Amino acid sequence: MSVRLLVLFLALGLGAPARAAAGAASGSEAPEILVSRGLLRECGLSPGDVVMLSADPHGADARLFRVAGVYEPVPDPARFTAKRLEARMHLPDLLALTADPGEAAAADAVGAINIALKDPADAPAFARELAARAPAMSVVPAAAADDEHFVIIERFHLAISVVTMIGSTAFLLALMVIRADERREVAGLLRLLGLRRRRILAQALLEGLAIASAGAVFGVLFAAATQGAVNAFFQWRYDTTLVFVRVTPAIAARCVALALPLGVMAGLMASWTLLRRPVLDLLRR
Amino acid sequence: MSPLQFAWRSLSRQPARAWLGLTGMAVVGALLFDMLLLSRGLLVSFRDLLESTGFDIRVTATEALPGMGPALSDAASTAERLRGLPELADVVPVRFGSVALDDGDADGGGLRGAKRRGLAIVASEPRRRAEWKVVQGSDLAERGPGGRPEIVVNRAFAREEKVEPGSLVRLGSAPPAREFRVAGIVEFPFEAAGERMAGVTLAGFLDAFPAARRDEADLLLVASRPAVGAEAAVAAIRRARPDLHTFSIEDVLERLRQAEFSYFRQVSVVLATIASFFALLLVTTLLTVSVNQRLGEVAALRALGFSRRRITADLVAESALLVGGGGIVAVPLGLALARALDSILRRMPDLPQRLHFFVFEPRALALHAGFLVLAALLAAAYPVLLAARLPIAATLRKESVS
Repeated sequence: MSVRLLVLFLALGLGAPARAAAGAASGSEAPEILVSRGLLRECGLSPGDVVMLSADPHGADARLFRVAGVYEPVPDPARFTAKRLEARMHLPDLLALTADPGEAAAADAVGAINIALKDPADAPAFARELAARAPAMSVVPAAAADDEHFVIIERFHLAISVVTMIGSTAFLLALMVIRADERREVAGLLRLLGLRRRRILAQALLEGLAIASAGAVFGVLFAAATQGAVNAFFQWRYDTTLVFVRVTPAIAARCVALALPLGVMAGLMASWTLLRRPVLDLLRR
Repeated sequence: MSPLQFAWRSLSRQPARAWLGLTGMAVVGALLFDMLLLSRGLLVSFRDLLESTGFDIRVTATEALPGMGPALSDAASTAERLRGLPELADVVPVRFGSVALDDGDADGGGLRGAKRRGLAIVASEPRRRAEWKVVQGSDLAERGPGGRPEIVVNRAFAREEKVEPGSLVRLGSAPPAREFRVAGIVEFPFEAAGERMAGVTLAGFLDAFPAARRDEADLLLVASRPAVGAEAAVAAIRRARPDLHTFSIEDVLERLRQAEFSYFRQVSVVLATIASFFALLLVTTLLTVSVNQRLGEVAALRALGFSRRRITADLVAESALLVGGGGIVAVPLGLALARALDSILRRMPDLPQRLHFFVFEPRALALHAGFLVLAALLAAAYPVLLAARLPIAATLRKESVS
């Protein structure tokens, strides 16, 4: 069992006087804290500094802490736009800092308890059982809580992709119609030479397949090559290590699986609209 | 024949191509329109939510979001001092908390208990403004019949717990739970879908949270005098209490614009750029091919006395017909698509029910039209260049030989 401490909104009383006072009060005896990379940069801290933390907005009852190190907060997709100004400290230090002296129970109270199960698959059953035994507690499997945001965002992106795909299919069809139209006379000549419609359609199918394959491979390679730039931009913009775009083999396969039939179908449809006409019409006679 | 009529005839000669071009433009245009709605939708919707409360200023102890940072101490005296400012019309302290309802069964009189489910509590003074909207029963009074504290609950809570005005509920952060009389069923502006919420008085809050520190507030809701305006009222509060953090609705929105809502703005910018580029590519391709196939015709027209300007006007009109036709269809299509996309995103947990991602504004329509006009002009640029530089005699000769 581990207890996660999120000390997000403690008022930080930092600055030269605070540090001087801290130094005078022998900062080496102060309890240690870890500060997030964002907080370290925002407040110009460095490991070894002694800082004063207070739960009071005016800095009352501040306590000294020594910055033992810096950590990268676990990226949280639900909060990636927020500045991660956080610190981690030992639970007794946090309770001493925040508990109301007039409330005896506050010295032994925590906001949440994180539990790691031996078998993570047992999480839903464990949550149900614990909730039944301790009705006053809210028990939520961590994976279930996180998944919902991902599912919604994924659905949104999927819907956008479908719309983009419909638009690009219309574009592709228009291109194929133009292309077929340009080869109208060639198709007429081939028909006159004795080639059957099916033979010419097979040729169009192979051509469509080749073009669609080349386009799909180019698209996947382009996405793979640019994913680094997209991630770098968003990671810079939101100061996070979260990965926004990842071209996985499954996604690449899905793209190719969608693009190939679409390309082939567009080629066939465009060719068929041409080939069903009489030969003399194709030759403009 | 006007350039527009001429362009119409050119498009009519290739109906399949024209229809596909229009379809592509309509779909891409719808996506572009939606991204314009998304780029400011959250801000517009959030502004509506904030304004619907009747308070245009928020005062907190720190920059943290209300309820997530240290509370404001000496709330009563602070509120009283601010009420003395001539720029302010109203000041209301607010506290937030959450409880798990008592699991005990009724002990008569319609008393009902909930099972292991949380309830978000908003505490405020008996009100004069619309922090929440009463949909059934009455609003909070300081004390109900029999001296019981009163509570107003939202529809989700009332439905799940089968309570109505006059019912009793027991709640408390620690045993023993206190009985509250349901005064009414209300709608909170920021309630999420399915979220159970309730409102109590500040005194009732202390009944529900006996261990809570007295005389604190997570937030002061302030209404400025209409004649003065929010900015002047914010300045007055900052002068009176520089230690507090005072935000007008504009300040709150600016903060959200910079941080919480920025992802969807970035996504909308990226997708709008892609959609515009796609539209440009589509129309440029169609027009270029069309011109290439009609080089002989263009040369013949030039030989008959059509000026370069006239040919340019014909091509721009053709581009305008494709882009304009698609763009007009894109608006209703985009609105329908926006509704579908909005319903997907609004399923996100903990999101206020009345918050929307895609919000229609006349500004979005104007921008959409502007983008399309630009796309039509840019798309026509290359084909126009081809047609304008066409050597008339050589092209005619080449056409007649071939």
